[in-house]
Amino acid sequence: MSQFVQIFTNAADTYLHVYIGIMRYLAPVLACILLLRCVKPLLTFRRQPEIWAWLCLEDGKKLPLTHWENVIGRSKRSDIVIDLPAVSKSHAVLTRYDDGSWTVTDAGSTSGVRVNGKQVDISALQPEDKIEIGGIRMTLTPISHRQEKRLAELRGADSGLFRNLVNVVLLSVFQLLCCVAFLLGSDSKTAASILGGFGGIFICQWVLFVFYMVIRRTSFEVETVAFFLCTMGMAAIAAVKPGEVAKQLVALLLGLGVFLLVGWSLRDLERAKKFRYLAAAAGLGFLVITLLFGKEYYGAKNWLVLGPLSIQPSELSKVCFVYAGASTMDRIVNKRNLFLFIAYSAAVCSCLALMNDFGTALIFFTAFLVIAFLRSGSVGTVTLACASLGFAGVVALKIAPHALRRFSAWRHVWENPLTTGYQQTRSLMCIASGGLLGLGAGQGWMKNMFAADSDVVFATLSEEWGILMAIMLVLSILALGLFAMRSAAVGRSSFYTIGACTAAGILLVQTILNVLGTVDVLPLTGVTFPFVSNGGSSMICSWGLLAFVKAADTRQNASFAVPLGKKRRDEDE
Amino acid sequence: MNRIATRAMAILILVLAMVAGLVFFLFDFLINGDKWVAFPGSPHVYYDSKASPVTLMDRDGQILSVLSGDRTYAQDEAVRKATLHWVGDRLGNISVPAVGYYSKEFVEYDPVNGVYKYGGTERNIQLTLSASLQAVALEAMGDYVGTVAVYNYQTGEILCAVTTPTYDPDNVPDIDGDLTGAYTGVYVNRFLQSKYIPGSIFKIVTLAAALETVPNIREQTFSCTGAYAVGSGEVTCESIHGRQSLKQAFANSCNCAFAQIVGQIGKDKLNYYVQQFGVTDAITFDGITTAAGNFDLTDAGPESVAWSGIGQYKDLVNPCGFLMFVGSIARNGVRYQPHVVSQVTIGSERTYSAKPESVEPIMSRATAEVLQEYMAYNVTYKYGAENFPGLTVCAKSGTGEVGGDRKPNAMFTGFVSDPAYPLAFMVAIEDGGYGARTCVPVISKVLQACKTAIDTQEVG
Repeated sequence: MSQFVQIFTNAADTYLHVYIGIMRYLAPVLACILLLRCVKPLLTFRRQPEIWAWLCLEDGKKLPLTHWENVIGRSKRSDIVIDLPAVSKSHAVLTRYDDGSWTVTDAGSTSGVRVNGKQVDISALQPEDKIEIGGIRMTLTPISHRQEKRLAELRGADSGLFRNLVNVVLLSVFQLLCCVAFLLGSDSKTAASILGGFGGIFICQWVLFVFYMVIRRTSFEVETVAFFLCTMGMAAIAAVKPGEVAKQLVALLLGLGVFLLVGWSLRDLERAKKFRYLAAAAGLGFLVITLLFGKEYYGAKNWLVLGPLSIQPSELSKVCFVYAGASTMDRIVNKRNLFLFIAYSAAVCSCLALMNDFGTALIFFTAFLVIAFLRSGSVGTVTLACASLGFAGVVALKIAPHALRRFSAWRHVWENPLTTGYQQTRSLMCIASGGLLGLGAGQGWMKNMFAADSDVVFATLSEEWGILMAIMLVLSILALGLFAMRSAAVGRSSFYTIGACTAAGILLVQTILNVLGTVDVLPLTGVTFPFVSNGGSSMICSWGLLAFVKAADTRQNASFAVPLGKKRRDEDE
Repeated sequence: MNRIATRAMAILILVLAMVAGLVFFLFDFLINGDKWVAFPGSPHVYYDSKASPVTLMDRDGQILSVLSGDRTYAQDEAVRKATLHWVGDRLGNISVPAVGYYSKEFVEYDPVNGVYKYGGTERNIQLTLSASLQAVALEAMGDYVGTVAVYNYQTGEILCAVTTPTYDPDNVPDIDGDLTGAYTGVYVNRFLQSKYIPGSIFKIVTLAAALETVPNIREQTFSCTGAYAVGSGEVTCESIHGRQSLKQAFANSCNCAFAQIVGQIGKDKLNYYVQQFGVTDAITFDGITTAAGNFDLTDAGPESVAWSGIGQYKDLVNPCGFLMFVGSIARNGVRYQPHVVSQVTIGSERTYSAKPESVEPIMSRATAEVLQEYMAYNVTYKYGAENFPGLTVCAKSGTGEVGGDRKPNAMFTGFVSDPAYPLAFMVAIEDGGYGARTCVPVISKVLQACKTAIDTQEVG
């Protein structure tokens, strides 16, 4: 009997090695095809300006309005430039709403805005209304519904259900192959959790995809990229802590819930604006609660323990922070709002400093910079902010010895390979040992390291799946960032553009700190890799942020966070 | 909105930062990846080389350890204990730089595949150590703490070098929880890394310096009254040796005589010869760098200089370093670099093979021959030639006073002058008491085992 078991084990061993030998090449190729298919439409979608209305001047000139929020002013960077001394630099904002209606808002101009001769701060516009700005009279003519329909067709031309279906199938095949690799190397104890882990993601993505089909949304690229990252995160957990697979699956489910909730709240700009105050309060509230009742782990007091649950509220605060920072154009031109936001950010950052959580504080600060720059466009403000961060950083290093230790080890890890440089040197040794193609699922050594599935997960995956695969994880995040940036050009409201860019900024900065910290290009800060690192709060936060990116996706029928065009009215035409 | 769209380009800064960091890392990886993989402590080389198991063997081909998965060790417990400090433990507490040094050759690293290897090739590192001699030496050391080592002064091969205390890697005791002090410094390879106060074995150095620099030193006689006044203090002997020749003074290990000799050499010359002989130098071989000793006369007055010539004061020597000095006397003043790795093979291909490597002569042949004669006389006069049947042993003992309540360190070093048995040896036993009394029985057993091994062609 024992002989039989031995033969069987040997056979399984051989299968495993043959399988790994094939997977080393197959996995990166498959992942590469999948990513190319997902990323290409995100980076190449039609970005030509869409005309939503015409502004007709007295002299018969017709100026196109290409956004949902348009600034009229003397400044060359205004959407509609009227270069007359009586016109302020940013004079007024014309805003379009989901139902196709328009308003005009005075942006704190010196000479004011008149509608049909009456001075107004904000006024809804009817087709024949006469707007007067700096002595220039004009009328606004929205495009016809037929034209709107034509625009939608053009927009939707390069997004296809079938294409996305193929992507999800490809991802499923990839997951299946990963799962088998782990199953071949596992014993009966871990087999169930591995099957559950990969199976769980598989089910989640298909349920979401079918849900999208039901609500007639066809774009799934952003989600596919996120699910791909989650799959690789699961691969790290399967290798490092197979027992925590179920926990991570629950986090993924919660994350999807937050994704849908945030997306829904963003669907209607008026609703989003109301949510904003709630989110701002919640964001700060989470931090204050942590500060009062939090628990300290590894030098940072950023954990809240609720019975069997331990969560990092600062992760959830990130999503709230993006909400709080996003703003519509009519508010942006008013400076007071920015100062309020600066005060809010200062409160958040000081909470984090009190918690000793400098890594997270740095992420919030980057988010703040992105928001501040997008809103003010002032390089001066941003420089000032950076200088104050530098100063605060020096003070922080003086107070926090563990932070200073990390900085002293930075770029000197090979001189202290067993103490301050331990994590980084082991990471580099293992990354190099894995080479470009990796040693195979479950064949690495990194799993013995502290935080192998979170802080240094880049090394864990790089060792087992190869540097190529690890680079693809980074490229996935970069693609999300570039997509958010490109979407800005056709953004309908600055609220969405700022939200998407800030969310992308947070995802990027976390990836930068995580990856470059692991390989000692930057100091190791213990920041998570979005979607990949093991950690419930981080997973939920990542999906929450993704909702902002998704909300900026203005491709026709692409995003559930963007309502469909009114179908009945189209038929009326 | 146009403004916001333009400002959104700021995201590019982050994207570019990420790309730049990643490109920097990739270049770093392409240039230094091989060094990272071979760095001491690298998991896939030291603990978990599933892809390319490495077998460490002794000079006779006996397996000492296989570095694969959970690592395996020799069958025999005594061999496991005796060779632990050369092959390392499972947790990396004992560092074995010799293994890492040749790792690049046996891990077959390339940037595309890393250390991945489908199917295994046999990779072997053969050491110059003899497992059986190691076991004999360990047994001879008994409960003593310290090191005993023998090397071939003609070839530079280290035949055996045992460090105690040690433990069985297959049956690890509770080292952290031990309160008796039985495992103090257990992870240190004392032969390579410890430093001891040499005591009288340092008189070999002083004598060599005197022979090199004082023309009529051999014709002089030295009187000993038990104490000799130097500067503001005095140097003392444990007994009164009376009037004695240089040879006899060396055999008596007479401190008073050597204080007078040091006086004739002078502080600067003594310092010069200690450097010239390389007694305190760190030695590098097979990726190993031994601990450097210490000889510092910067602020020394005449009394301190006298004590330093007798191997006290601030003197410290490393057993391996001192053994190389003694070996060079046997080799007529020419020092041979030691080595512990004899060859590295991958499959059937030999990728490295050690060759005897000499360094510049460190003393004249005449001086070396006088030292050989005097050290041989030490054995016949004092240590007992009957302790070394069949071998012509030349030696010097030492008792390193460590101060306080602790017993002195017992030291014993020398060589076999028979051309058939080119063996130099070094014994250092902590808290061992009188040098010769403690060390002679130990080295006697080890040398006999070496002789038997050579006679039966096991070692040669």
